[in-house]
Amino acid sequence: MKRNTIVLGITLLLLALFAWAGWANWEYRKQAAEKRLASMEKAELVADSSAGAGDVPHFVSQLTSHPAPDFTLEDLNGKKVSLDSYKGKAVLINFWATWCGPCKIETPWLVELRNQYASKGFEILGLSADDLDLDDKAKLAEEKRDIAKFAQQQHMQYPVLINAGSLDKAYGGLDALPTSYFVDRSGKVVAATLGLTSKDDIEGNIRRALAE
Amino acid sequence: MNWRTISRWAAIVGLLNLALMMRSQSPLADSTSRSIARGAPVEYLFPEQVTIAVGKASPVALHFRVASGFHINSHTPKEESLIPTAFSVPESSGVRLASASYPDGEDFILPLDPSTRLSVYTGEFTIQTRLVAEHGNHLVQASLHYQACDKSACYPPRTITVPIDVIGN
Repeated sequence: MKRNTIVLGITLLLLALFAWAGWANWEYRKQAAEKRLASMEKAELVADSSAGAGDVPHFVSQLTSHPAPDFTLEDLNGKKVSLDSYKGKAVLINFWATWCGPCKIETPWLVELRNQYASKGFEILGLSADDLDLDDKAKLAEEKRDIAKFAQQQHMQYPVLINAGSLDKAYGGLDALPTSYFVDRSGKVVAATLGLTSKDDIEGNIRRALAE
Repeated sequence: MNWRTISRWAAIVGLLNLALMMRSQSPLADSTSRSIARGAPVEYLFPEQVTIAVGKASPVALHFRVASGFHINSHTPKEESLIPTAFSVPESSGVRLASASYPDGEDFILPLDPSTRLSVYTGEFTIQTRLVAEHGNHLVQASLHYQACDKSACYPPRTITVPIDVIGN
């Protein structure tokens, strides 16, 4: 009888331990996943079931309908420019790089659309995601020259800011270019695109940002 | 409480625990949508091991594969701003890269810009190298630097490791 009670007690203890371990494991993984989700990129490429390999995936940004994260970056002359200073304007935040072929295709469209809508309170911020050797002055100067040369060749008459890679987390990973965020006059993201779309798509999103 | 009751409870607790464990594999799975895997678009295929004569530049063909739907710039892209594909061997690895001969790129036209021709690699491609090895077994962590794009977007430049066991004898 006494032996049975001891065995029963140990069995119940083991069952309780087993149940607790399962619960603790689930809680731990849940918290870890929440932390990971909070720190990871806020954007995803979602496969369109009708799309084949290499087709433009549908871009889902968790920044849409939320305030665009503020930032301050230097332009090519070393002047600090912040997104916050454009409040009251509709802004297209366009991430690009000198090595990005599709960026080169869309830039002339951006230049034209900026000229078309600037009078209505629209501006483009061209954020270069080119890697910079911040600790090597000579290399940094050369990299800045390359970016400036590219911006000049592409007739980017809007502010060109560098070191956009520092906004990697805030703006959803930036793992593909071009990536654009369309921000309305209150500073809220109303649309986001990844990859080359079309001039019409870009114009449609600019008009949404301008609330036309 | 008899053994049958205990077994029943054990089964219930066990099943509950199993359910928790399965759910714990992805506690937030329902709140996230499926993302497209953006792993390395270029993969080193072979050889894993080569045996070459010591101190003599010996030909070694290295085979790579670009994932379907992607392309990478060839070694000689048509524009200065594009990043060429380049193979390198680290210094002091016991192996020296005497030369590397890259395949010609194939012409690629982006659907939205028919006027621009790019020089790219797609599918499988081979770099013909000549390696010089010191005596012994050298596990060389060589590198391939490239920049990949698909039809509508480009991905940041990457460097992948090309592990080759080079035996010099």
